[in-house]
Amino acid sequence: MAGIWLDVLDDIARTCSAHGRGDLLQTVRQKRAQLLDPTLRVLVIGEPNQGKSQLINAIINAPACPVGDGRTTVLPTVVQHAEAASVAVAQAPPPAPGRPSGTAVAATVERTPLALNQVAESVAGMIGRRPGGGPAYVEIGIPRALLGAGLVLVDTPGTDEVTGIGGPASVAAPARADTVLLVTDSTRELSVAELNMLLHVMRSHPNVMVVQSKTDLVADWRTVAERNRQHLAEAGVPAALIPVSAALRLRAAAADDRGLNAESGFPALIARLQHDLAGKADQLARASVQTVARTVVEQLAAPLRAELATQEAEEQSGPISRLHAAQREVDELRRCSTRWQNTLSDEIADLLSDIEYDLRDRTRQILRTVDEAFDTADPLVAWDTFQDWLERSLVEAAEANHEWLIQRCDWIARRVAANFDRYGYDVLPPWSMTMPDDIGERVPELQLPTIDRFTTGQKLFTGMKGSYGGMLMFGLATTLAGMPMINPVSVGIGALFGGKSIRDESKQLLRRRQATVKAAIQRHVDDFFVRMIRDCRDAARQVQRMLRDHFTGLTEELQEAIVQSFRSAKQEADTDASLREQRQREIRLKMTRLAALYEQAQQLTGTRSAPLRLEPQA
Amino acid sequence: MTVGLRLDEAAWGLLHQAIDLYQHDPRVVGQLRHQVARLEQPLRIAVAGPWRSGKSTILNALMGEEVAPVERADGVFTWYEDGAAPRATAYPAGQPPQELTVVKSATGLRVDLGWGAGDVRDIVVQWPTRALRQVTLIDTPPVTGSVEQGQAPVLERVLRDSDAVLYLTRDARDSDLRLLESGRDSAVGQAAPVNVIMVLSRADETGGGRIDGLLTARQLARRHYRDPRVSALSVNVVACSGMIGLAGRMLGESDFAALASLAQVPRAELDVHLISADRFLRGELPVRLETETRAALLDRLGVFGVRLAATLVRSGFDSRVKLSAELIRRSGLTELRESVTRCFIDRSDTLKARSALAAVESLLRAEPTRGSEELAGAVERILAGAHEFRELRLLVALRNARLGFDAESAAEAQRLIGGNGVGLAARLGVEHEATVQRLWDVAADAQWRWRDRAEDPLLPLAQRRGAQVVVRSCEGMIAELVAGGR
Repeated sequence: MAGIWLDVLDDIARTCSAHGRGDLLQTVRQKRAQLLDPTLRVLVIGEPNQGKSQLINAIINAPACPVGDGRTTVLPTVVQHAEAASVAVAQAPPPAPGRPSGTAVAATVERTPLALNQVAESVAGMIGRRPGGGPAYVEIGIPRALLGAGLVLVDTPGTDEVTGIGGPASVAAPARADTVLLVTDSTRELSVAELNMLLHVMRSHPNVMVVQSKTDLVADWRTVAERNRQHLAEAGVPAALIPVSAALRLRAAAADDRGLNAESGFPALIARLQHDLAGKADQLARASVQTVARTVVEQLAAPLRAELATQEAEEQSGPISRLHAAQREVDELRRCSTRWQNTLSDEIADLLSDIEYDLRDRTRQILRTVDEAFDTADPLVAWDTFQDWLERSLVEAAEANHEWLIQRCDWIARRVAANFDRYGYDVLPPWSMTMPDDIGERVPELQLPTIDRFTTGQKLFTGMKGSYGGMLMFGLATTLAGMPMINPVSVGIGALFGGKSIRDESKQLLRRRQATVKAAIQRHVDDFFVRMIRDCRDAARQVQRMLRDHFTGLTEELQEAIVQSFRSAKQEADTDASLREQRQREIRLKMTRLAALYEQAQQLTGTRSAPLRLEPQA
Repeated sequence: MTVGLRLDEAAWGLLHQAIDLYQHDPRVVGQLRHQVARLEQPLRIAVAGPWRSGKSTILNALMGEEVAPVERADGVFTWYEDGAAPRATAYPAGQPPQELTVVKSATGLRVDLGWGAGDVRDIVVQWPTRALRQVTLIDTPPVTGSVEQGQAPVLERVLRDSDAVLYLTRDARDSDLRLLESGRDSAVGQAAPVNVIMVLSRADETGGGRIDGLLTARQLARRHYRDPRVSALSVNVVACSGMIGLAGRMLGESDFAALASLAQVPRAELDVHLISADRFLRGELPVRLETETRAALLDRLGVFGVRLAATLVRSGFDSRVKLSAELIRRSGLTELRESVTRCFIDRSDTLKARSALAAVESLLRAEPTRGSEELAGAVERILAGAHEFRELRLLVALRNARLGFDAESAAEAQRLIGGNGVGLAARLGVEHEATVQRLWDVAADAQWRWRDRAEDPLLPLAQRRGAQVVVRSCEGMIAELVAGGR
């Protein structure tokens, strides 16, 4: 029958090494060696002064362990069979740095034989121990049939704390024992500390018994035992409770009193131990393997489960999220390019109408001034001055207008660039418009329009024509008075009339000249306006084109970069997903194998312990 | 010690300073006035210890009557005070006090809680007995050792509400020591371990009930007493079996008769019947003894007690009075009571002052305010300067043999600074009825010798300092003699 559990144990060992857990493998190997060893190793634990050493003495019926008078066991004591009584202090070498202490091999343990009367000192830790050495323990060999059958008893220093129980490497480790006896005395019920200790040991150990010692001291030990059983049941500790009295047993042995021996409760305990010893190769081993399987599977599954959990967490933050971010970038860029194009065309249209209006406004102003000026002035007299002024005004207007155009273009460039704010600052085109130098020359030359001058001949002729009528009218009238046709009066009147005609005529001419000049100037200004406005439009168009080219280039550049990152993110996400998928499959496979192993171990014994949750929480 | 600033006066002054400082806070002032009142009240001694360490038994043994335990819910403190008539009052949290029914039994009292003891925190029992004249005893719930999470709440309350503590333990194991250490985190707590006596209770169980178990327990106590770790925590270690002590104090004629009839059985024969409780109860004894009587004996004395008592009767303690006295002596109860008198009751002023200092210190730490630092300084000044504390610190130092005095002078120093009792005669080591002149001579002689030692440049500094404390004690005694002689 041994074969089955051995196979399972070997399976467990293989799984451990497959998972690269050397520490667990060590434990499993140790367990294997221990299970194959035919001796039954009984570990006695408990709080101080519960009678642990006395219990061992009573079991083997010999004063092997020193007891009484406030003696405290300091070193763990191993009581085993020997042909002749012997005592030795065994000490492992100090744990070498860089090597876990658990790997110390038993063969390197150094043994110092002692005289038999030095037992008490050695157990109290006072002799036989080198300072600075590793953990030490006392070995007591004693010729006893019960021990000869394969029983090994291990006495431990008393402790009421879970941490006080020997570590994995110690000789007093529960893991190295086949049976654990917790000793509690009858003067009181199990304490919380003892129950905690039991629960701690039960986790890693299948075979635990509670021994209630010192039943000879109190009359109501049966009540205490009953309450203790109740406590054990409440705490969920499936440990048997055996009340014993070491004092009675030792006394019975001395007096060879069978009745007293039966009363001491020891026969039941020893029967139990012998039963364990006989069943070690089968029942006990199966239970042990089951516990080992449980521990190992739990330990192996824990990191896998944790990995699964972290992977799920990573999905939220890993390459997938980078892919999403890149996608968002691309969309954003698309929106951005529409936005800047709209901004640019809107702004340029606004600019054109604004510039045209401005120039028109300025030229109107000039024309108004011209009109006012030539309402009174005679172009013949003021022309030269006027021509200078007009030329200057027009150039000024053109310059101001152009200046404004430049400013507006600059502003538009910035306005469009603002759309690219989130991509960086230096996206303005490396260009600036300057005022052209030749604005003055672009203004067309204004020639004095042909205007009528009032020449002297004309004046004479007009005067004659005017005076003729007057002289004739008054000459005829004076002929009635007997005077000749040409007389001084008619000549005088004629002269007056002639003068008036000349004045009227010259005024009329002036008006005509003024009108002519105004019309000419208006034409000129119109010409100027048309030419200038064409220049401005050209300039604005040029700016628009340039800005468009610049920002289109920029957008393309950006798009390329973003698409590149998007592509790499996508690729990364794809590989990552497949990797993760693969790893998850691996983990699940391992989990399934572990579960199968666990199941196999479970089937070793009829009873099933609580099902083990392997799957991660959904 | 009437010379210099008296410690209780200093504490009184300090409390009133604190009341001035916190006068705007009625709750704190209430607490402080309570502390002032405590200075006038009997010394409060709490009996504390882990679960099933025999607290109530020791308490009964100290009082000489079966009063404890009052059956109760978890976490209730039971106060035993002196009073004209037996009375018990429960103080539930946030409700008016409730009078409880007291039933006087043959050996003591039984308190009937009667109603749901939901959130009762204190039960005060008034009981007319001589033992409570000078002290108030407090029975406390078990101290549970969750040392990792700081101080255990029960121990914290014990240290706050009592002036002195009898800490009961079965074997002075590490967890007990750690628990006590956790209670000493204040400056007052660290100044001197003066308020704890460690009691190895249930001493009768030592050595599995062998007849010399009590002796062994006493040796163990002595060993613990010399252990520096223990001596840093407690002023004395006493082994005491509360069960045997109580049985001794309550021993009735019928009990004695039963024991006497047992003692008639030849020793070897009786031993066979006494090897276990079961055998004693059910076996066929050669003398006629009712099962009920045997059960009562077992209940009162335990197997060990029956063995011991039978042996004692056989070896000459052949009357109830003799046996009773011997049982009390052997149980360690006498030693415990002496120790309580010497360490606590004789020093009750010091201990009460110490409690007041501790209360002020914890108040200053919990609710610092403007000017509280000055007050904290005053606390420290009193702690460092008060001669009583210096004596106590020297006592601890002498116990550990750290100072390097030779055994003889260490013993003398211990005696002079009150280690064997604070009375003049006890300090000077003379007979009780010595004349003033003789006391004067001895004190003056001691003073000169110790002054030489204090000024000897060849001695190490620690020894000279210690000697100075002894000189100061001698001067105090001389001053007291002068004051008394006038």
